[in-house]
Amino acid sequence: MLKLLNRNDLLALNRIILRSHGVGCLVVENPPSRGGDNVQKLDSESITLRGLTVGYDEALVLDINKTIYPGDTIAILGASGIGKTTLMRTIAGLIRPLSGEIFHDYPRRGGIGYIPQRLGLVRHSSVRSNITLGARTRRSKWYPSWYPLDSSLKEDVDNAMKALKIEDIADEPVRILSGGQQRRVAIARTLVQRPRIILADEFLGELDKDNVKSIITATKKIVDEIGATLVLIEHHEERAIEIADRIWRIVDKKLIEEGDSNQ
Amino acid sequence: MILIAWVFIDDLVDDWGQVEGAPEKLQTFFTEDLLPPDWSVLEAEEWSDGSLHKPNGDICDENFELFCSKAWTGMVVTIKMAFVATLVGFFFSIPLASLAATNMAPLPIAIPARVVLAGLRSLPSIIWALLFAIALGFGPLPGILAMTLYTIGYLGKLQYEAMEGVHNAPLESGMAMGLTHSEQLFHVVIPESSNHLLSQLLFMFEYNVRHGAVLGLVGAGGIGMYIDNYINPPFDYNKAFALLIVVFVVVVIIDLISMMIRSFVTEEGDVKRPKWWSVILPPSMAVEMYSESEEE
Repeated sequence: MLKLLNRNDLLALNRIILRSHGVGCLVVENPPSRGGDNVQKLDSESITLRGLTVGYDEALVLDINKTIYPGDTIAILGASGIGKTTLMRTIAGLIRPLSGEIFHDYPRRGGIGYIPQRLGLVRHSSVRSNITLGARTRRSKWYPSWYPLDSSLKEDVDNAMKALKIEDIADEPVRILSGGQQRRVAIARTLVQRPRIILADEFLGELDKDNVKSIITATKKIVDEIGATLVLIEHHEERAIEIADRIWRIVDKKLIEEGDSNQ
Repeated sequence: MILIAWVFIDDLVDDWGQVEGAPEKLQTFFTEDLLPPDWSVLEAEEWSDGSLHKPNGDICDENFELFCSKAWTGMVVTIKMAFVATLVGFFFSIPLASLAATNMAPLPIAIPARVVLAGLRSLPSIIWALLFAIALGFGPLPGILAMTLYTIGYLGKLQYEAMEGVHNAPLESGMAMGLTHSEQLFHVVIPESSNHLLSQLLFMFEYNVRHGAVLGLVGAGGIGMYIDNYINPPFDYNKAFALLIVVFVVVVIIDLISMMIRSFVTEEGDVKRPKWWSVILPPSMAVEMYSESEEE
């Protein structure tokens, strides 16, 4: 039934749920399973930012009230140093917000895929090891860290490498790869993780047009397949408009939504 | 700073007169006691009936007499002791170091872990060896245990500092992904700091081999036991000196092996190395020679 509801209905429904919980926090004890071929988009809100102020010693973005829906692709725009990365790191749970709250029902393990500006790859490990690390989060946290993965996950790792055209360099250490190849590895690692939300901080960087196009195509294809939400920080406005269906712009410490960029 | 250091040393040294005649005394010690080194330590012991024996009294049936010598047998025991102590110490120090690294563990865990490591290394290995020799008697076992405990404390400190030097980005990605502490350790931190960890491990092995010479003083076995015998009456300093040269040669060999092993994890493999003259000659001459060699 929930699939028949539109976004406004869902928002209203969620408000009722929030009120009924009394604490203003949506908690799903047993979140829908991720992974496998039967991954479905969630019929609840993905993530809610309420009265969120982010920054370090000083507030960078004030009073954010936004909702990110399942399957959304959001691009965050703004000048350098304005707080885009800080906002993303706050959503990723890496830093505490100065005030306000973030509500989501993602599992702590594997629910969030984060690609930082510097990609966050293990430079001395092989491409395969890096991608396997993403797949590892689909097993219980009690799965011994020195155990190899089972064959179904290994197959997923191979498929992700094929999708991003990096299967030929599977055994190369990441440190010797080009910037474009490293980006593909970072994306493959996040995609094989099958997260509910992917937070990518300028992950297209200064890639050339052809590389950008092929990476975006591959990413969007898999993101659609696994039904994840994609939030990315972009410096190139045209590129952001092309990729995203929602644009958030940070201006004067405020987050402004520009609506559907395809309109 | 130099002035402060001078004030400190002046405060510590009461009698500057003791410096007088020091070079002469050293010269006498070197020429009369140490030099030349007595290389008989590289030979098997010859008994009155002409048969060759190992230091423990067994008959020498090796192809080379060297293998029955005090230097060889002592060094082999020391290397075995150092190997076991370093390896066992490494396996205990890695998890402890990961708990002590502030980028991997919160302060309430990191500080106690650091206290444990500091406690283990604040007692020199010779004191640990003394304690174990009292408890267990003489022989390699107290030496191994002493080296192991000291290795955990010393290596653990080097390791948590190396771990803290790992880039934040892969750790943050791992944290956001929900990787466990041990997954971060095995799959992110160890590979990222492998160069440092390997170099520290090999350094610790070398340190333990060198320290084997000292631990012999408290009866912990190995080459140190023979050195200890020679520096006590009837004072065969030139034999002790020969054994110290053997230790030095082994340390150099370990260093070369370490360089070779580390080359697998460093990023220098494909880098064009500077020529010797770029290090020794003034820049203008070095550049000139470099361009000449390029033309060739």
